[in-house]
Amino acid sequence: MAGQEEQQLATVLSNGNVPASNERRDERILNGFSAMLLGVRQWWPYYAMMAPGLLFFFIWHYVPIWEAKMAFENVRIIPPNIWVGLKNFQVLFSSPIFHQVLLNTLIISGMKILFVFPIPIMVSLLLNEVRNGKLRGVIQSAIYLPHFLSWVVIAGVFIALLSPTDGAVNEIGQAMGFQPVSYMTNTGTIRWVLVISEIWRSAGWDSLLYLAAIFAIDPQLYEAAEMDGANRWQKIWHVTIPGIVPTIATLFILNMGLFLSADLNQIVNMQNDVNASTIDIIDTYVYRMGLSTGEYALATAAGLFKAVIGMILVITSHLVSKRLTGKGVW
Amino acid sequence: MANQSRKTPLERVEYVLIVSTLLLLVVFTMQPLLNLLALSLSEPSKVAGFSGLSIIPDGFSLDVWALLLQHPNVQRGIFNSIWMTATSVCIGVFGTALMAWGMSRPGLPGRRLIFILVLVTIVFEPGIIPDYFLMKRMGLLNSPWSVIMYRAVSAWYLIILIRFFEEIPKELLEAAELDGANPFQVFFMIVLPLAKPALATIALFYLVLHWNEFFHAMIYLNDQSKWPLQVVLRQFVIEGDKIAIVGANNANNNIGLAQINIRALKAGMILITILPILAIYPLILKFFTKGTMSGALKG
Repeated sequence: MAGQEEQQLATVLSNGNVPASNERRDERILNGFSAMLLGVRQWWPYYAMMAPGLLFFFIWHYVPIWEAKMAFENVRIIPPNIWVGLKNFQVLFSSPIFHQVLLNTLIISGMKILFVFPIPIMVSLLLNEVRNGKLRGVIQSAIYLPHFLSWVVIAGVFIALLSPTDGAVNEIGQAMGFQPVSYMTNTGTIRWVLVISEIWRSAGWDSLLYLAAIFAIDPQLYEAAEMDGANRWQKIWHVTIPGIVPTIATLFILNMGLFLSADLNQIVNMQNDVNASTIDIIDTYVYRMGLSTGEYALATAAGLFKAVIGMILVITSHLVSKRLTGKGVW
Repeated sequence: MANQSRKTPLERVEYVLIVSTLLLLVVFTMQPLLNLLALSLSEPSKVAGFSGLSIIPDGFSLDVWALLLQHPNVQRGIFNSIWMTATSVCIGVFGTALMAWGMSRPGLPGRRLIFILVLVTIVFEPGIIPDYFLMKRMGLLNSPWSVIMYRAVSAWYLIILIRFFEEIPKELLEAAELDGANPFQVFFMIVLPLAKPALATIALFYLVLHWNEFFHAMIYLNDQSKWPLQVVLRQFVIEGDKIAIVGANNANNNIGLAQINIRALKAGMILITILPILAIYPLILKFFTKGTMSGALKG
């Protein structure tokens, strides 16, 4: 559930390296515990300052990992729980509902990669062509806004926008002679609602990451292209796009790393009784099974499955991205 | 601008097309929000037939806003959201800065190990249920502190701050140490003032993150009186629970709030929720954009 945009932001902000300075010293410290004790005398003020943060990470991130052992247990109302090994996973993987959930997750993530991912790239290319700084500023301020709204708000906006009785989309549709469609409760359209609302939210803001890469391109390249008589499109094709390919590659690979997420916050607000089965993803399944139905063990198993595959995907994408573009997830 | 004069007609047409495409995106982004704003400001009697396309209020009335802002559930939501967000931001900024400062010191024993432990939390998240049981075990279920402490320190923002602190010139710190300042004094009197822009950025990150938080508030807080505004909004607009806002009696008797079209109330509720974001939006644009751009240029 790592926020995708946070991840992207951190990637762009960081230079993509675990601190390597004093590597030799660190290794020595890691090897010898006694050396660590020696260091404590000099470094204790820093450890004291880090203590609240470290305690936080321990309690809120490491204790849950321990709690996740529930996935291997039969959770009973009266403790203790009984260790059952992989039985919960067997139940999970033989459940047709979970198969559907897995399929939904892959379809929704696939649709988003295919239809949402390219949009900010195009927006950034267009924005870069707007030479009037003021006009560009106005456009940017408008299209960045939805990124800062919660999914509750965005779902509320889309429910109003797509309302079959008085939503703008159906008013336009009816003017063109179509029957009103209830997009939110139609299993054929709801996945597209996810795609479009994701575009609404991120097309503007995500373009900023590419725009930053475009601004970093050496202006001399454009001048050289102009000398060669290149027109606008030739400059875009031969200078701008090659200049942002590393950024595109990085963000694409990072997106692949989040393939099993498909955005819980979005779907939890767009789901209703009618469309539920079409957009039920692993995270919503975990949420429902665990907190509504009370199948704690099964839900934890599903969550753990997602966590492990997700971890493999993120680490793989990080390594691939590092290898290809020099920039990783962190 | 210099080559403006050299533009051929074709290039001008291209430019118009490019700008129009972007303006279309602006309309696609802003129209739904402006429509809701117009709807919430329209005369209550004219709301029923209000077009989803219009962005101009039909008549003008503040009834919807006034009624919503007087409603106890909305007031409580606003109050809860404000104090919970403020607390989270303070804890977040302070905790992140302290930890980032320690982790940015080269030579700190175990620095790499701590860094890896933090990275592990980014890569491996065991999920909703273990988190829920942790809250339960700590007795935090149904307490606002579950929502405040959950993700109080973000690993991402920590990394961003570490990068920033690493760039503070060494000479500055050494000079202070020569003057006899201890590490705490160095941190509070030199590092923090230097890091003001970075801290402001991080504070804004946290502010947006926590103001928009609804999921954990929704699953941890049973008690409606503890709900932040986002959950109140969700109950009303997403779950369609009119009673949450209109009240059981009013819904049946068709008085007070219920006389106003539910559609206008929902629109007003959505806008009340995004109002604080709009209020700080100029700051967000300044800091977020600058942070992202300069970071990218460096990388």
